[in-house]
Amino acid sequence: MTHTCNDGTCGGGDHTRPSRRDFLYVGLVGGLGLTLPDFLRQQAFADQKDYALKTPVADSIIHIFLPGGMSAQESFDPKPFAPPEYRGPYSAINTVLPGVQFSEHLPHTAKIADRITVCRGMTHGEAAHERGTHNMFTGYRPSGALQFPSMGSVVSHELGPGSDLPPYVCVPSIPNEYAGTGYLSTRYGPFALGSDPAQGDFKVRDLSLPGDVDHQRFARRQALLETVDSHFRALENADVLDAMDAFYQRAYTMISSKQAREAFNLAAEPDALRDAYGRNEAGQRMLLARRLTEAGVRFVSLVYGSWDHHANIAGGAKDQLRAFDQAYAQLIRDLDERGRLERTLVMVTTEFGRTPKINGDGGRDHWPRVFSIALAGGGVQRGLVYGASDATGGGPDLDALTVEDLATTIYNQLGIVADKELMAPGGRPVEIVNGGKVITDILAKPA
Amino acid sequence: MRFATFGDGRQPNVQATWRMQRIILVALMLTACVTTCAFAQAQPEENTKKPGRLEVYPSTVELTGAKDFQHIVIRSVGDNGITRDVTDTATIESGDTNVVFVSDGRVRAWGNGESHLAVTYDGQTLQMPVKVTKVEHQRAVSLRLDVIPTLTSAGCNNGSCHGSARGQDGFHLSLFGYDPNGDHYAMTRELPGRRLNFARPAESLLVKKAVGRAPHTGGKLFDLDSHYARTLIEWIERGAPNDPADIAHVTHIDVFPPDMVLTAGGEPQRMIVRSYYSDGTNRDVTELATLMSNNDVCARVDTSGRVTPGQRGEAQLLARFDVHSVGIPVIVIPADAPTVSPPQPANYIDEFVHKKLVNLRIQPSDVCTDDVFLRRAHIDLTGMLPTPEAHAAFIGDERPDKRARLIDELLQRKEFVELWVMQWAERMQIRSTLEVSYKAMLLYYNWLQERLAADMPLNEIVRELLSATGGTFTSPATNFYQLERDTLKLSENVAQSFLGARMQCAQCHNHPFDRWTMDDYYSFAAFFAQVGRKPAEDPRETIVFNNRNGEVNHPVGNRAMPPRFLGGPAPDIKGRDRRVVLAEWLTSKDNDMFARNVANMVWAHFFGRGIVDPVDDVRVSNPPSNGPLLDALAERLVAYNYDLRRFVRDICNSRTYQLSAKTNPTNAEDQRNFSHAAIRRIRSEVLLDCISQVTGAPNKFKGLPLGARAVQIADGNVSNYFLTTFGRAKRETVCTCEVVMEPNLSQALHLINGDSVNQKIAEGSLVKGLVDAGKPPEAIVDHLYVACLSRVPTDTERTKLHEVLAMAEDKTAALNDLFWALLNSKEFMFNH
Repeated sequence: MTHTCNDGTCGGGDHTRPSRRDFLYVGLVGGLGLTLPDFLRQQAFADQKDYALKTPVADSIIHIFLPGGMSAQESFDPKPFAPPEYRGPYSAINTVLPGVQFSEHLPHTAKIADRITVCRGMTHGEAAHERGTHNMFTGYRPSGALQFPSMGSVVSHELGPGSDLPPYVCVPSIPNEYAGTGYLSTRYGPFALGSDPAQGDFKVRDLSLPGDVDHQRFARRQALLETVDSHFRALENADVLDAMDAFYQRAYTMISSKQAREAFNLAAEPDALRDAYGRNEAGQRMLLARRLTEAGVRFVSLVYGSWDHHANIAGGAKDQLRAFDQAYAQLIRDLDERGRLERTLVMVTTEFGRTPKINGDGGRDHWPRVFSIALAGGGVQRGLVYGASDATGGGPDLDALTVEDLATTIYNQLGIVADKELMAPGGRPVEIVNGGKVITDILAKPA
Repeated sequence: MRFATFGDGRQPNVQATWRMQRIILVALMLTACVTTCAFAQAQPEENTKKPGRLEVYPSTVELTGAKDFQHIVIRSVGDNGITRDVTDTATIESGDTNVVFVSDGRVRAWGNGESHLAVTYDGQTLQMPVKVTKVEHQRAVSLRLDVIPTLTSAGCNNGSCHGSARGQDGFHLSLFGYDPNGDHYAMTRELPGRRLNFARPAESLLVKKAVGRAPHTGGKLFDLDSHYARTLIEWIERGAPNDPADIAHVTHIDVFPPDMVLTAGGEPQRMIVRSYYSDGTNRDVTELATLMSNNDVCARVDTSGRVTPGQRGEAQLLARFDVHSVGIPVIVIPADAPTVSPPQPANYIDEFVHKKLVNLRIQPSDVCTDDVFLRRAHIDLTGMLPTPEAHAAFIGDERPDKRARLIDELLQRKEFVELWVMQWAERMQIRSTLEVSYKAMLLYYNWLQERLAADMPLNEIVRELLSATGGTFTSPATNFYQLERDTLKLSENVAQSFLGARMQCAQCHNHPFDRWTMDDYYSFAAFFAQVGRKPAEDPRETIVFNNRNGEVNHPVGNRAMPPRFLGGPAPDIKGRDRRVVLAEWLTSKDNDMFARNVANMVWAHFFGRGIVDPVDDVRVSNPPSNGPLLDALAERLVAYNYDLRRFVRDICNSRTYQLSAKTNPTNAEDQRNFSHAAIRRIRSEVLLDCISQVTGAPNKFKGLPLGARAVQIADGNVSNYFLTTFGRAKRETVCTCEVVMEPNLSQALHLINGDSVNQKIAEGSLVKGLVDAGKPPEAIVDHLYVACLSRVPTDTERTKLHEVLAMAEDKTAALNDLFWALLNSKEFMFNH
């Protein structure tokens, strides 16, 4: 009942061709005691639902998350014909798609509406910030008994690194506790930049050598470290040492890899382009995300703004919308012009929507029954509005999109079958997504 | 690529039960088989022809009713510990064939009376008393005793089928049958006439779907002539009645034999499961119980209870019936595995460790060197590195008991207490929040610190904590009740922190792989139902009191649950604060879970792994790697009146603690039996303190003076980049998993390029100081090595370092680079 990988049933990526590290892990397997989740997983394959990787359509995901809960009415799904208390403070403008209108504060996005898919029937039942966030990051409803991995960690687990860079990067930092590895090993955790691309002196934390250490001196340090380590390595042989070694190797690679360092080097972008994205958090983060995906990062998780407008939505949302609009439209155009949009799936989501009626404080409260998200690239249809909310934005009217279906569709474009089961502690095999389906209607090219 | 573990022709059943089985199978994969193992020095075992010791299970048989039966297992236990199933070859004679006879491997009833069975094998005979009653009577099929066990055994009510929260295809049963009345309603009255056919019971949809005679998403589960179908049909023939209110319930189950040592690829061994009822009867439920192995490669079990050994290793066999789960350990060793002779034990700990190792044919490693021991003991006991002076003194000490002396010395350091304050602060979630002001947090921390420093027994500290009443300033332990205000979560936290039990699953259903039921969960939570909270004069303070009001209701039936100890009796709570009653029991000798949990937590600190691991996930399906060892440690802890220092002294003086990490061919693969030292990354606070110590560059943390150690940080919310990156617990939950020991990329980058190393080397200017003092480079190299690694460089290292230093123009820079390399070395960041 041992698991073999030569029949192609155990998933692709790092499983079909075991790396040295995998080999070392498996070497431990003979053990009377087994602590390594990897081996558990491999053994458990025998009893888990498993699927091979499909040929991917997208190489990378950029997940732009708008924390707090962006109002659909004030962005992708205006209600110009609703009574004023529903309609809200903004007017609607035409987009390049006939009959489709966005908020007046998304003028740039209106011009690229023919390159993206807007889903107006997104729905889930979680009206609390942390629960809504959990849904959108993991594809699962929160459970008291189990910590679910973020989509980025699942992608990292399933696909492994695509270059000298880590597979899963958070811009600018780990945004919330649901962006982590959940029940998966921390090996699949995100690499957080640790500083904000919008800062003028943006530099990834600890990526550059200290000021008084040049490459020659660094080489000496490495040689000395090798001397010290080799003694220990000869004496002790433990898997944890190997794991630490692996991270040191990746760190060395990143420090010395021009490709890796360049990926973080925003200054290499022409000033005009940096301006076009907007010299602000939205613009520079999205520009960096583009650079990272170009350099082989599989999953970039990016957050922007604070959208919890319980009061004064008219004043509170406007500037953020404008900055988001400029950056997002520029990102899509930029990717498209570089021919990378087809291989890069850009996903804009938020925690939940906001109440149909403007409240007494001129704001809107939490409303998870229906809201909008936007998808572009990576095989997603160009110029589609999928689903609809009802006349006052109270619930989905057409083609409701669940969290499970969305996650399944996203994974699908990367070639990952979301019905596959991963191993949680306590020996519980858990589907990557529980019961979602691929929404082929929004896909021009399904994987 | 799915596998059914039940290889007995119940193939159609796979669809419904495979999920359940594999959950456990895999969950319990705590062990794996040794596939390759070379035995260099050991001698092949002698093949003695001496007859083994005969054992017969169960020890007595009681049959009730004409159809009752009991399987028996007969085995022979060799001198080498290997057990052999001889049930088929032994001779069994009935003492009185008018009372009892044996057919088909089962003991059956013939007539009322008492007799015995004589079992003879290899010249030995054992007698097994048999008692038969009520042969004239046959018990009618019952919902609780037969139907629901049948549905559970066939997998109908598991989580992925009709037991899921929403049911399946419109038919909802309670998960593993926790709600028999609800299930009775669902089957008989939810859709009258649909599921049961009283005129032609075998035509009932319930039966037809299960036997594959009607379309069923779950597929065919069993045959029409199986005992499953017969039970259902018989029940429907009787009119599908609910049970009388006084129906007997299962009180516990037993699994026989209690353990197994089998030979790899050898003969199978039978196991049997017996359930005991509240009316005093018992019953053979081997075929109704769910039987699982956590390690099929090592030992597989089929539905009839046949355990087939595979490759070398350890497995846990789990039997579940009703709400009860019991696990038994199985060791599989190659028939020709050489025996090992363990070295002289230093104390009782070694005796228990060696006993297990002998069974596994594992030779423990040698004892570590003085260099390694000195460093290990300092880090584990004080969270600091030995100074070069301490190193010189210890290495120069010629006394044979210098290790024991060192342990005694380190145990008296204040750093020893601080290390444990930090770990208990994690269990008690000491941190500032919206509800707990900084001042209240600090008072809470000081409360804990004072008690541990004053050697207050651990059980008394926890008792005081759980019974705390008063203001969060004046009685700071009450902050425990402010850090978690939800009754259910609070009770879950207490169970997890102090008993090591995770109760969360039982909130919604009886725990499928553990002993806890929903009744246990809500009865335990009821101890916290009357915690009152009100504002004090100072807005930053809250008063926690017993408000004598409030209940916890069970979601099934909405009944108020009387408080009952976890796995214990329901106490008399009249006129008393429920929490005080609980605290007294929890920390008393009546509750062995607390002592075991504390003993295991302390053990895990010194070995990097609990005997039950993780320490806060005690489950039937997560057994201790060495149960007798854990029992012994818990007993000592109680006998020592929870004196932490005395207990730790035992651990550190054991040969097992002082083992080298270097393995031999027999223990290289062992990760859980403490046959060699584990290489452990040093936890975040201690690692930062060690870096500060050797560089001489102090830290500054919020609320602490310059130079304070990270271990001393009171507030879970105070951190810095280093501590966060290396996995300091935020204490947002009680879970031990908050302390992250796994490496990550940011850690590597930070040690390579970050300020924690580079800036501290510059700030402390240790090298410059030594150079300025006129020390030659060779002496500085030695100093750095001893300070960081507690050893002098090897000759090879000296040669290589000499080359580098000779080439360097700026000697100070080169020596600082060596310092950097030492702080980045795995030998530094790991305790070994």
